[in-house]
Parts: sequence; C-alpha cells; structure tokens
Amino acid sequence: MRPRAPTSARAAAWTAARAAALALGAVTALAACESGAIGQSGPGGNGQSFVSGSPGTTVYGTASGPAVPRVTGTLLSGSKFTLAQYRGRVVVLNFWGSWCTPCRAEAPFLSQLARRFTPRGVRFLGVDIRDSPATAEAFQRRFGISYPSLNDPGDVIALNFRDTVPPAGIPTTLVIGRDGRIAARVIGTVSYSGLHGLITHAMAAPS
Amino acid sequence: MTEVRVPATGRPEEAAGGQRPKSPGPGSQRRGPALPGPFGTMQWARWGWRQLTSMRTALILLFLLALGSVPGSVLPQQGINPLAVQQYYAAHPALAPWLARFSLFNVFGAPWFAAIYLLLFLSLAGCVVPRTFRLAGAARQQPPRAPRNLSRLPLLSTMASPLAADAALVTSAAVLAGKRFRVRTGDDWISAEKGYLREAGNLLFHLALLALLVAVGMGGLFGYKADRLLVAGQSFGNTVTALDQFRPGRLVSASDLQPFSISLDSFTARYITSGPDMGQPSAFHAYLSYQAQPGAATQRYDLQVNHPLNVDNVKVYLIGHGYAPVFRVTDGTGRVVFNGPVPFIPVAVNSLMSEGVVKVPDARPQQLGFAGVFLPTTVDVGGKLQSAFPAAYRPAVSLVSFAGNLGMNSGVPQSVYQLETAGLHRLAVKPRPLSPGQSIRLPNGLGTLTFTGYRQWISLAITYDPGQLPALIAAIAALAGLLVSFLVRRRRVFLRAAPAAGGGSTVEFAGLTRTESSETFGAEFADLSTELSAALGAPEKGGAGERGPHGNAPPGTTPAVTSPTAHAAAGAPAAGAASDVPSQSDERE
Repeated sequence: MRPRAPTSARAAAWTAARAAALALGAVTALAACESGAIGQSGPGGNGQSFVSGSPGTTVYGTASGPAVPRVTGTLLSGSKFTLAQYRGRVVVLNFWGSWCTPCRAEAPFLSQLARRFTPRGVRFLGVDIRDSPATAEAFQRRFGISYPSLNDPGDVIALNFRDTVPPAGIPTTLVIGRDGRIAARVIGTVSYSGLHGLITHAMAAPS
Repeated sequence: MTEVRVPATGRPEEAAGGQRPKSPGPGSQRRGPALPGPFGTMQWARWGWRQLTSMRTALILLFLLALGSVPGSVLPQQGINPLAVQQYYAAHPALAPWLARFSLFNVFGAPWFAAIYLLLFLSLAGCVVPRTFRLAGAARQQPPRAPRNLSRLPLLSTMASPLAADAALVTSAAVLAGKRFRVRTGDDWISAEKGYLREAGNLLFHLALLALLVAVGMGGLFGYKADRLLVAGQSFGNTVTALDQFRPGRLVSASDLQPFSISLDSFTARYITSGPDMGQPSAFHAYLSYQAQPGAATQRYDLQVNHPLNVDNVKVYLIGHGYAPVFRVTDGTGRVVFNGPVPFIPVAVNSLMSEGVVKVPDARPQQLGFAGVFLPTTVDVGGKLQSAFPAAYRPAVSLVSFAGNLGMNSGVPQSVYQLETAGLHRLAVKPRPLSPGQSIRLPNGLGTLTFTGYRQWISLAITYDPGQLPALIAAIAALAGLLVSFLVRRRRVFLRAAPAAGGGSTVEFAGLTRTESSETFGAEFADLSTELSAALGAPEKGGAGERGPHGNAPPGTTPAVTSPTAHAAAGAPAAGAASDVPSQSDERE
C-alpha cells in the first residue's frame, strides 16, 4: 500500500463514512423491497395465507419434555372444554384448519389413529385455527373425525403454547404423555406410521 | 475526519495519527522484527487484513452485496413465497435444482450472501475500530513541547514583564488554564492547547458509526416482520400459526414473538364523494382491542395509516383494507358446509372492485368452488358490471361456479386466492349479480350458495426491529460528533519567558491554529495576549516593526490582529500551516 497524503487520508475517512451510509442504504433498500412485496401482493402476500412450518419431528425424553400449559376453551359444538379432564392419559393434540391443504392430507390418518387408539385410552383433541365452526364441522364430517376440536378464534391456545412447544405452523401435532409433559412434536403433515409410533412410545412410557 | 499531522521535518514515515505508510520501508522495518526474504505467514495475514480493511475492498463488497441481492428479487424466494418456488420447480425441472444448489431460492440466507455481508461488516469495523483507538489517544494527548523559535509561528506577540521569568510562566499558565487550555509547562516554556472537543467529536462519530453497524446487525438478527389479514369481528394472536407471512431474523424462533392479541372491532373508511378526487380515501380508522399478553387488560386503539400501534415494542401498521363478502354454502346433502367471510383482494384501487374465490372442499357429492368479483357500488355500464365508488353503497357479487376436485386434499399448499381449475368443471349457471341475501342454486342438486352480506378487512404489517432505536440514536450521535469535529478547531499557543537584561522578563507568546481559516483564531489570540499582558503587568510591545527579522510581513494578512503578524500564512500553502508544528515526538505510538 502506498503512503497516504493527508488529503487522501481525509478522503478515505470520508469514503468510510459514505460507504457506511451506502451500506445502510443498501440494507434499507433490501428491507424496503421486502415490504414492497407485501404491499403488492396484499393480504396473505405469499398467496398461501398461512405459515407452514419446517417439517420435522421432535421427540422428548421421558419426563424431560415441556409441561403442557392450561388449555381451555369452547369446542366447535359450543360446549366448554378443559384439557385437565384428560389428565393421566396420552393425548394427541392437533392444530389444524379446514382450509389448510396439509391438514386435509393428514386428516385421514388422524381419523384412523383416533379410532384405533381411543379404545385403548388415548384421547385426541383438535385446535381449529382460522375457521368458521360450520366450515370446520363439515371438515370433521367429511373425514369422519370423531374427536372434539376447540375453536380458537383469538389464538389463545396457540399463544399459551408459545413458551412450551410453539406450534410453529399449521399443521402441528403434539403427543402429550400421561405425566402431562409433551412427548413429541410433529411440524407438518403426520404419517400414519410415524404418529402411530409416537403414540405407542408415549403409551409405553412410565407415567 | 482524522487529523493528519505531517511534520515538516522530512520524515513522513513518522506521521502521527496513524496514516503510516503501509509499504515496507525503513520505518516499518525498524518497527517490526527484521524478516528478510519472502513474505511469512504473519506478513500475509497482515497484508490480507490491510486489503480487507481498505476502502476499495469495502466498496467492492458493497457492490457485491447489491449484486447478490438481485437474484433475490428476480427469482422467487422460499422464505417469502414458497408457492412460487414450487411453481418454478415445476416449470424449470432441470434448472431449478441447480439454482437451489447455489441457494438462489434463499438468497438472503445463503452462505455466500452471509459471507459478503460479514466481510463487509468486518471490513468496516476493521477500518473504524483502530481509528477509534487512535482518536481516543489523540483526545487524551498532551500538547507538544513549545518550539525553540517561536518567531516562526504565524501569530506572535512579545511582552516585557516586570515579573521574573519563573513567575511570569506561572501567571501565564494560570491565565491559560483559566481559559480552559490544556497546559503543559517546561523549564522556560508553556505549551497549551484547546479544542480537544474536536477529537472527542471525531471519536463520538466513529463510535457511533460502529454502534450503527451493530444496531443494524441486531435488527437483522433479532427482528422479524409479519403480515396478517384481519376481518372485522375477528381476532388473532401474534403467533406463527396465526400469521399470513412470517419473516424472522436469523436468531428469532417462534417462541420469541411477543404474545399480544388483536381484534378488529370495526373499520371505517371515508372517501371523497365529489370533485376530481372522488373515490380517493380521506380517512381510515381501524378500531382495535388488544391485549399485550394473554390475561392482560384489554386496551383500545384507533389504528390509522402511519399511526401504528406500538405494543411491547412491536409496531403494527395498517397497510391495506378491502371487503370480505360473507357466504353460506349448502351442499347436495342439505348441510351447511361453509359459512363465513371470504377476503377478496382489490383489483381496482379507486373503485375497490375486488376478486376472490370461495373453496368448499367439504361439500358433497362434489367439492365446490366459486370465483368472482365483489363490487361495492355496482353500476351496469352497457351490460358490463362495474364498481363506481369504493364505499359499499350497492354491494354485489358476481360469481362463476365450479364443481369437481379442488386439489386440496393432496397436501400441496395452494393459494387461498386462486382456484386450481384443472380438476374442476364449470357449472352452467346463468350469470347474475347477487345482492346481499340472494342465492345461486347450483344445477344437478349440487347445492346452494347465498351471499349473506359483507364485512371489511384490514391488513396489518407487524414489525419488530430492536435495532431501530439504537440505530437512530447512533445516527444522531454520529451526526453530532461530525458537526463538533467540523466546528471545533484545535488551536495551540506557546509561551517562552526569558530573563530580560534590565530585570523582569521578556515573554514571547505565539499561536497556531491547525486549520486553514485563522481569522477567528486571530481575534481569540489577540484577546488572549491582551489578557496575558495585563496579568503579567506588561504593556504589549506589539507592532510589526518590533518583531525582528520577520516583522516585515505584509500588513493586512490578519486584520483582526494588530501586533502579531501572520507571516507564515503569507508564504506557506494553506495546508502547510499545520505542518509548522515542530515537534510531534510525544505523539508517536
């Protein structure tokens, strides 16, 4: 590098400032073009109108999973419900919506697994997101879903889960052990065999 | 910015202020360990670091950053529009995997993109950090020793004091200290400097620049942006499942979202009803109820454009609005299979004519789909339906009906605003606009759709940028520092006292400012010397003629100063004024 005359040093310092300003400008421009994208595509800018989580299954060790928060609300049928009444049982909690295509893809498996495991003491519960009750009930009839679903219009239940296992997208399925702790979480569509294995595992765990 | 002092001694390699020559030369060889022969690892590392922190590299990196973000705006991005990425894969089956291999569908999360901005950050930080240390050193520096021959300085005043030389020095030092000069005394001299605030300002500017970089980085790491469409009467919680779009910073996880919930109690839009601007909106009010967290007290807010709701440091902006017609669909079996509002998307801003689709995947015996328009104020223009005004004075929908397979059960995500018509067939229904309460009876006993009314929706932009306030503060601080460093000049005065032949002492008082403009300093210097001579009990000798060999400087160069002359300014180039500072020995690193 060549020795710098005072003027060029001052210029260099100026350039540094300018470069920083430019960098900031670039960052702002990037941010701006993102928000521009929002404006253009309007509501639900990705057209998909919901956030699908990165698919994946998380299995927690015995008694090491997060405790389940309080879950109370109104069922689609209109009656009150609290998860506490399932205490001591393995519970499968499924966040879904009738408009959500991956939820529709997994619905037959959930329906079959519910029929298979309910006689063995497992309880299934749905949490319906962004649906109207009439539409959601049509979904349940269509897929022969016999277990109840909570209506969660203000996302209260989803918010209550944020500190434990946040349902990071729809669909999300949680398997809750007998000890009231979360045994497994599946983000994205469940498979019949995958969820079957998770339920069996939770049932085998000492309570 | 950085003061650069070049001593006039012809030893430029010892220039203080850090602008040392970077080429291997006598200076650097003397400092570093003598390593003859080819570059060693250390030299290469040092060379690499210098290259990285050079301005040229920063500018190249900046250019690369801009260039690198181009594919992000040209190609669909996984984080922004996963659906479009899937469509791109379908359309270009050979090309797409290659593009994915270079992370071109996720540019802003790509390793090469991260490399560019990390290097840019490193480059800027590597430039600013050492400079900051140097400035901190400069701000604490003592004034240099007084030059031997004060008469060479641009401003000079000579006084004869009845005080002895020692006493004269003490008195003068007290006067200068009282003027808030930083004073350094020697055997028979005083050197004093003022205007260190300039270095402090410079330092502030550089520190603020660093803080700005960090703040912007913080915002990118810990902030997030999200969108949500909210129909009047509905509510949502700020959790990933409830958001339409969610763009988290790199270190944001779903559990980091502030757990507020918002419901839209009502929305009103007012429009200009006459004149050339007819149909233009004049006011939007979204009346919200919100809770900062589950169980907290419910608060109300009148959300307006550019008047965001601030909850838990998250800003919620009103960015759009539209209509959501409400439909009830009964299927072939006579059951209600759909009942609720469906947001339609405005396609004409001035009339709010909106398009949308209704999907009824659970209808039997066949899935049903409807696509059409909502017209807030319907007018018939030659058999063609149009909307004349954005407010809903004569709302109507006009729909095309389909039956068949909506393609929703395979699990592939699809847009809620578009019908996948591949598996659908159009039903023969006489096209007719529906007013609220009117129905379409579908053929073949497939069911009935009723347009029961409409609601309005708003779209909200939710942004959390923890770096925003720090960045603002840093930017203000940087500006303040820059102003200070521009406005404050450093000026030095030197004083030498020598015993006079007939008792008392002769005091020489000289001044030097280190910037080109010396007129204001000339006045300050004149005041100072008056004050000094008063304190020393000396009538100012003054007068150009009494200054000895240099006293014949052209008069009028510094009209504010009468007795001291500015002879140096007469001949030396402007920048050379600073180089008259004779000794910088104490400024070496």
